[in-house]
Amino acid sequence: MASHDVMPDVQLYQPVELDEALNLLDRYGEDGWLLGGGQDTYGWLKDRAKHPAAMIDLNGVEELSGVRETADGIEIGAVTTLVDVIDDPLVQRNFGLLSQAAARVASPQIRNVGTLGGNLVQDARCWYYRRGLACYRAGGNLCYADSPQAMNREHALFGASRCVAVSPSDTATALVALEATMVARSLDGERLIPADEFFVAPDTHITRMTALENDEILTAVRIPAKWAGKRFYFEKVADRNVWDFALVSIATAMAFENDVVSDARFVFGGVACKPWRLPSVESAIIGKALSDESADALAGLAGAGARPLNYNHFKVLLMENLVRRAVRA
Amino acid sequence: MDLATYKQDVWGREVILGASWELLWLVVVAAFVVIALHAVIVAVRRREAKPSSEGPRIPRHRGIDRIFHWVMAISVFALLITGVFPIIGLEFSWLTIHWIAGLVLTAAVLFHIVRSLFWQDLKSMWISARDLKEPFDATLKPGKYSVAQKGMHAALTVFVVLVIGSGLAMFAMIDTPWWDRTNALEESTLGWIFLVHGLSTLALIGLISLHVYFGLRPERLFYTRSMIKGWISKDELEAHHDPERWAPDKSS
Repeated sequence: MASHDVMPDVQLYQPVELDEALNLLDRYGEDGWLLGGGQDTYGWLKDRAKHPAAMIDLNGVEELSGVRETADGIEIGAVTTLVDVIDDPLVQRNFGLLSQAAARVASPQIRNVGTLGGNLVQDARCWYYRRGLACYRAGGNLCYADSPQAMNREHALFGASRCVAVSPSDTATALVALEATMVARSLDGERLIPADEFFVAPDTHITRMTALENDEILTAVRIPAKWAGKRFYFEKVADRNVWDFALVSIATAMAFENDVVSDARFVFGGVACKPWRLPSVESAIIGKALSDESADALAGLAGAGARPLNYNHFKVLLMENLVRRAVRA
Repeated sequence: MDLATYKQDVWGREVILGASWELLWLVVVAAFVVIALHAVIVAVRRREAKPSSEGPRIPRHRGIDRIFHWVMAISVFALLITGVFPIIGLEFSWLTIHWIAGLVLTAAVLFHIVRSLFWQDLKSMWISARDLKEPFDATLKPGKYSVAQKGMHAALTVFVVLVIGSGLAMFAMIDTPWWDRTNALEESTLGWIFLVHGLSTLALIGLISLHVYFGLRPERLFYTRSMIKGWISKDELEAHHDPERWAPDKSS
């Protein structure tokens, strides 16, 4: 597959109103490409692996930017840059988990232009798929990453169904842990999608990563006050400390009553096609005080049900250790 | 409109990807046209008196064969819904239901083959030269099955065998309770399997549309009743069949 230094010929629209953007999306349908920070756009287009007829730049739509306090938490516009999310005092004070996760996305340069919405809706990073091969995710009839010779060190342990690509988003794990709600808009109105349901598995939707329909724009993320100021832990293990995707990441939120865990969310990134919750760990930790013993006991539950591929067995050990570290932290 | 779609394999060679699903709309439209034409022709033709369903009852299908028919029908509809709906945009978690329904269909067909070889009159479904004259000679009446029914059975046999054969090859490559997925077939081989499966499915969609239509036609509804209750009336037998060629008490 040829890679080019230049962009293909594509019509650029820069709407300043959301309705204008929605009308453009409605007009172009699958041929329309929504542009945020462009960090999951230019590669596709320069590789000529995607061929949109029109690019709809959302950065000029004011209502899609910024962090706002609401009656029940906060709302973050979808094209708010990651650096603005990281630096926002409201996010830092109440939802440090998101701040920590966003701070581990890619590199400082990318966080300066990359947006929260773009990080959430980015496509799978499986290199067979990115290379333009006609795999299941691209509408084909096999998974190149799941063949006997495949290099699948970065691929899924859980939830694979034909495709074994993983969700690459760091902020997604944090938002699932925080029980966020995604706000999607189309010409038909607004749709609220719980973060748990926003990210979809290949058994249902093999050619996309989210529940967004072709005529919908992710406009905002709402985080409820439920977890504000609670105990958070985020850690991302990658081959490099910057500009790399997670091999495995963990985002946890825990609430306490009298030093005993009263509620907990444990979410992993990099191990499944969507942020992967561990209900067994969550239910096992409730009613317990945090200790080395409980950390070891919970770690043993982390990899239960994993289906490693040829080269990713190490992820099970990473998961176990990350649970340990999250509990001990 | 092509029969197949193509892709570049990992080495850059052009290989078959599978059936062209644009054909689905062609099949749907063709089935609709055939059904509409038949309905119009029957409507303008002089109606014959409908035989009474009252009177002595003649056994036509045994309970075991009726169960086979409806198990097969349910599994085929489950397969079509789970196989085709996601392709036309109605996405849901279909794969597990699809392979389970496929196994049910396979088991039903194997049962039918064994039963028809050893316990049924196999010849009652063979198409003879005399059968081919039936549509052109009103004095010729069929035995247990008309030539149209035999033709439908033969066509369904071919495409069901093809869809099961290609389906089992695909089944070997996915996760099941008995083995883990292998994904080890050559891309070109896989393309042929998907092509056979897809084209057989398209053929079955057309055939089953016709089968359902004819099963619901008022003058043939007694056949559907016989597939539910097992019997036709003596009047229906005499109006549509040649008792010399079908002795119901010997081959039901």
